[in-house]
Amino acid sequence: MQFGVFTVGDVTVDPTNGREPTEAERIKAMVAIALKAEEVGLDVFATGEHHNPPFVPSSPTTMLGYIAARTERLLLSTATTLITTNDPVKIAEDYAMLQHLADGRVDLMMGRGNTGPVYPWFGQDIRNGIPLAIENYDLLRRLWREDVVDWQGKFRTPLQSFTSTPRPLDDVPPFVWHGSIRSPEIAEQAAYYGDGFFANHIFWPAEHTRRMVGLYRQRFEHYGHGTADQAIVGLGGQVFMRRNSQDAVREFRPYFDNAPVYGHGPSLEEFTAQTPLTVGSPQQVIDRTLGFRDYVGDYQRQLFLLDHAGLPLKTVLEQLDLLGEEVVPVLRKEFDSLRPAHVPLAPTHASLRAAAQRAPQTGGTSTGDLAGAGAEIER
Amino acid sequence: MTVRSLAVVSAGLSQPSSTRLLADQLAAATRDELVRRGEEVELRPVELREHAHDIVNHLLTGFPSESLRQVLDQVTGADGLIAVTPIFNASYNGLFKSFFDLVDAEAVGGRPVLVGATGGTARHSLALEHAVRPMFTYLRAVTVPTAVFAAPEDWSGGAADGALRARIVRAGRELAEQVHRTAPSDGPTDPFALTTSFEQLLGGRDT
Repeated sequence: MQFGVFTVGDVTVDPTNGREPTEAERIKAMVAIALKAEEVGLDVFATGEHHNPPFVPSSPTTMLGYIAARTERLLLSTATTLITTNDPVKIAEDYAMLQHLADGRVDLMMGRGNTGPVYPWFGQDIRNGIPLAIENYDLLRRLWREDVVDWQGKFRTPLQSFTSTPRPLDDVPPFVWHGSIRSPEIAEQAAYYGDGFFANHIFWPAEHTRRMVGLYRQRFEHYGHGTADQAIVGLGGQVFMRRNSQDAVREFRPYFDNAPVYGHGPSLEEFTAQTPLTVGSPQQVIDRTLGFRDYVGDYQRQLFLLDHAGLPLKTVLEQLDLLGEEVVPVLRKEFDSLRPAHVPLAPTHASLRAAAQRAPQTGGTSTGDLAGAGAEIER
Repeated sequence: MTVRSLAVVSAGLSQPSSTRLLADQLAAATRDELVRRGEEVELRPVELREHAHDIVNHLLTGFPSESLRQVLDQVTGADGLIAVTPIFNASYNGLFKSFFDLVDAEAVGGRPVLVGATGGTARHSLALEHAVRPMFTYLRAVTVPTAVFAAPEDWSGGAADGALRARIVRAGRELAEQVHRTAPSDGPTDPFALTTSFEQLLGGRDT
């Protein structure tokens, strides 16, 4: 199972001292978090993509390329890549380029973005969110799988005899996850292609996640990619830890109370009861996280949100130490021992390449046997 | 014999509340008329005051607490709705509006609704017609013709035998008639239900 961190990249005032990091500090902090993630033995770093303040990561491949050069093992991903407002041609090019530079340590998570004003800045309309996600992604897949593409659609200039360069590394496109909180169409999209499905899971009740993952698994099987329990599922999570749980609550409360997403609304206690947010000791985080499996089944990727709401970098790096030293080793062992043999691990470049070499070309319509592809790789 | 459910939403803030009193009397009048027509009736009283914090939290976080979710399901899944608010500044109060802001237009479309209000003076009575009724029209509910406003003089004159009583009985009869002739609710809608297949989504692409 893969463990990692995902970041929104918000610039937020630290409510305990009124200090606001500069954009430069925040960008460098995101890099420091990624490097630390590898150092403490995590598997994945994923960055958000935003085109409006107070967020800094507008150019994910620039950041991920830099991190790729400074890491050896870390898988670089997104949370999420805006499939609605980005040109799919540019996504195909940028991430194939990154894939080469990172020796295949790249996958992506597609998302629609929920900020209305962003769409028109890129010539789009939020009311077309789902149709854009469907059309753009279908084109993106073709650009990575077909050397020459003739294409016509509703939202973009037609393409004639277009070749996206560079071609994906080893002719193996990056694995793709589709992220959604509560749009059943996106669970359906992920299932149709046999791609991964990532449930945001933070800020929302577990019930949303249970329903969305359940739908995705059922449709994954319907489309013949494997049994429902072989579908590729990722979850978000949000934690704040100190050795002593009362210390964690005391230290996190001002950040919670003033956080951009839920601040000035429910209490910390209400929100931890209603959503997967866990504030407490490493053991509490272990217990809560293992409990996710009870309502989504065996899953392949767990990403934690650690750096937001103005938490200082030093605190975030301490969280990563606790995660790497005390939490993830236990979770890895427990989840691995619970997972049946026929449930695959998350696909990686190596496993997808091996599967492609094993299987004859299927004409670019399917990712092939994911169960076989994922099971190939042992961490 | 089917059981017809009536959600009775009251946005009164004081306790005891004249808004709740009016809501209860409207509910009783509607129930009596439905019983006369051979229906069994389940009343679902909702005091919004008890859910005020959860309502604000839902507005901020985008999801309801478990107890508020149950209330929303009770209201949107009912066969008929009685909605009563105090009039503040010539309109429904903020709590009433905030609650109905959490109700999806699809969820109460076609449902029979009876609206009522209370206020410090009869000069507020048309707020029912220029504020409360249009909101339910927007939600595509079927609002019955009689809307009931109760001013202090209505209570002091004795609600049981005064003009207020006559309005309550008439309004209750109108709502009961609508509920009686409307098919039972299918219950709350499921936001996670897949209503289209991917082939349809992809197929729509080229049209």
